Amino acid sequence: MGKKISQALYHALLWLIAVIFFLPVFWIILASFKTKDQLLDVPIHWFFEPTLANYVDLFQRPNIANYLLNSVLISVLAVVIAIVVAFLAAYSFSRFKPGGTDLVMFLLLSVRMVPAAASVIPIFLMYSTLGWKDTMPGMILFYAMFSIPFSLWILKGFVDGVSERFDETGLINGASRFHVVFNVILPQVRPGLIAAFIFNMVFVWNEFLFNYLIGGKHTTMVPVALVTWMFNNSGVDWTFVATMTTVYMIPPILVVYFFQKFLLAGMTFGTVRGEI
Amino acid sequence: MTDVIEFRNVSKSYHNHAVIKNFNLKIQADSFSVILGAPGSGKSVLLRILTGLEKPNIGEIYLRGVPAESLSPGERNIGYIPQSFALYPHYKIYDNIAYPLALSGASKKEIDQVVQRTAEMLRITKLLNKTPDQLSGGEKQRVAIARGIAKQTDIFVFDDPLTGLDFKLREQLFDDLKNLQDTLKATFVYISSDALEALILARQIGILYDGTCVESGDLVSVYNTPSNSHTMEMLGFPKSNVVPGKLMKKDGKDFCQTDIFSFPVRLDQPATDTVSVGFRPQNVILNAPAGQALLSASAKILLKEDLGGELVVHLSIGDHKITSVVRQDHLGDLGEESTKIGLDPSNALVFESTSGRRIGQGA
Repeated sequence: MGKKISQALYHALLWLIAVIFFLPVFWIILASFKTKDQLLDVPIHWFFEPTLANYVDLFQRPNIANYLLNSVLISVLAVVIAIVVAFLAAYSFSRFKPGGTDLVMFLLLSVRMVPAAASVIPIFLMYSTLGWKDTMPGMILFYAMFSIPFSLWILKGFVDGVSERFDETGLINGASRFHVVFNVILPQVRPGLIAAFIFNMVFVWNEFLFNYLIGGKHTTMVPVALVTWMFNNSGVDWTFVATMTTVYMIPPILVVYFFQKFLLAGMTFGTVRGEI
Repeated sequence: MTDVIEFRNVSKSYHNHAVIKNFNLKIQADSFSVILGAPGSGKSVLLRILTGLEKPNIGEIYLRGVPAESLSPGERNIGYIPQSFALYPHYKIYDNIAYPLALSGASKKEIDQVVQRTAEMLRITKLLNKTPDQLSGGEKQRVAIARGIAKQTDIFVFDDPLTGLDFKLREQLFDDLKNLQDTLKATFVYISSDALEALILARQIGILYDGTCVESGDLVSVYNTPSNSHTMEMLGFPKSNVVPGKLMKKDGKDFCQTDIFSFPVRLDQPATDTVSVGFRPQNVILNAPAGQALLSASAKILLKEDLGGELVVHLSIGDHKITSVVRQDHLGDLGEESTKIGLDPSNALVFESTSGRRIGQGA
């Protein structure tokens, strides 16, 4: 009996914490259906007559479709490129173990240890010189470069977890290395590919600084648009911020919801995989 | 008989550490050959060299009479059964078994015939539609064997495939493997670290010790007259007894003196004085009757292990530990604490200590 009560309390506590974490998100979603006056009123209106006026306003703004399309194109393409490169690199590092593998792996990850603000200037200069500013390929390659290290770390863990006996069985039976990589190893590290995809996708999706600095009107993604549009004559346009944010967070929420089990596997870097 | 596989002076080292040292071995066509070696003696490396996954630093492999150096693992056309099953988790059992055939571009009909026949041989027909994670260890091993032998070839390589399975399963698989080899009429090369397994399976045997093949040949003759002390120690169950000894002359005759017995020897070749004397537990007689031409000594009984029909008795004589195996019905009245052991001198084999080669035996 006592055990049941403590478990119920425990569950209640978990729910409470989850709700607290969700509250800001909930506030944003609610706010997107309010008028400006309702939104700024204190205390908060929990019950009100919802309006779609904010959504109508959002989708009537010039270029909004372009910005959304940019966000989707840039993040999906960048992350796909990153994962292809990272998967092949992970396979090579895992199987051929070239000298200095550990050092290279560390150096790669160190790209992500430097605060973004520190690498802004060199990258800005580089992109100016190359004339890559505000170009789709430039933007996509930048985010691909930024997504490779972490993907590589996740995927190397997964490939390491797949016994080399699988490769050898394939090779001895006459398979090419290409066949081994894509038909034998790849299907076994699919959770890792999905986890790496989601982690990096969420990162690129929400990235602001570099898109603001080396992007431009052809490559603007939603976070930059959000900031440029949020100030109007009378200060911060809160209903706009709430509406834009609500729309923008739907795709990642759906993706994470449907692939959450892979996300967990990804966080353990594949180390829980057993051999079959 | 023709040799289908030949290792010629093969050496392989990693980071200046020699793993395989001047390894020579010929394997006859259609034989069941076991390469027996202790864990860490280089067995797996040898297999990797044979299958082409690694290249030797020195030496050559001949496959079906042709140098294999330039052949890729796939081109060597060897059926492979790995130690760790390595069944593809994303394939059904059927497709796992079909894998080597599918890779070689066989037709669907051909594949189906071979898979069904192979599955029948290994009694796994009812598993064909399952996935590897639904199988027990023994079933997985059967499937791995099926995948290996589904390949249409004449050489099959088994990398210690029964380690980690329980004994009853292993016994069943021993029978299966022997039957398979009879049916397929192919060369089976089986790597093992277990003497009992080697004794049960092998017709031909090679003894791998410290990276070299110290002895090879027909199992029965290698077992009965090992020409190397490592063979004596490794090939036998339970392990053979080995005691150090010294050669000397007595009245112009060769004698061997050990802490347990001393006996006249017939030397086949000249040798240094320091020797080791090996004799099998099966040849150690307990309750030895007096007055026969047996070497004898008093021993303390340390432990008796009852194996049902047989009794393994662990004894000590001075500082030496001796093992004896006797049939229960031959046991007679064995005391609790001590007994007298006997050994026919012709069963005492004398090996030179430095080289390990057999130089003679008791006379």
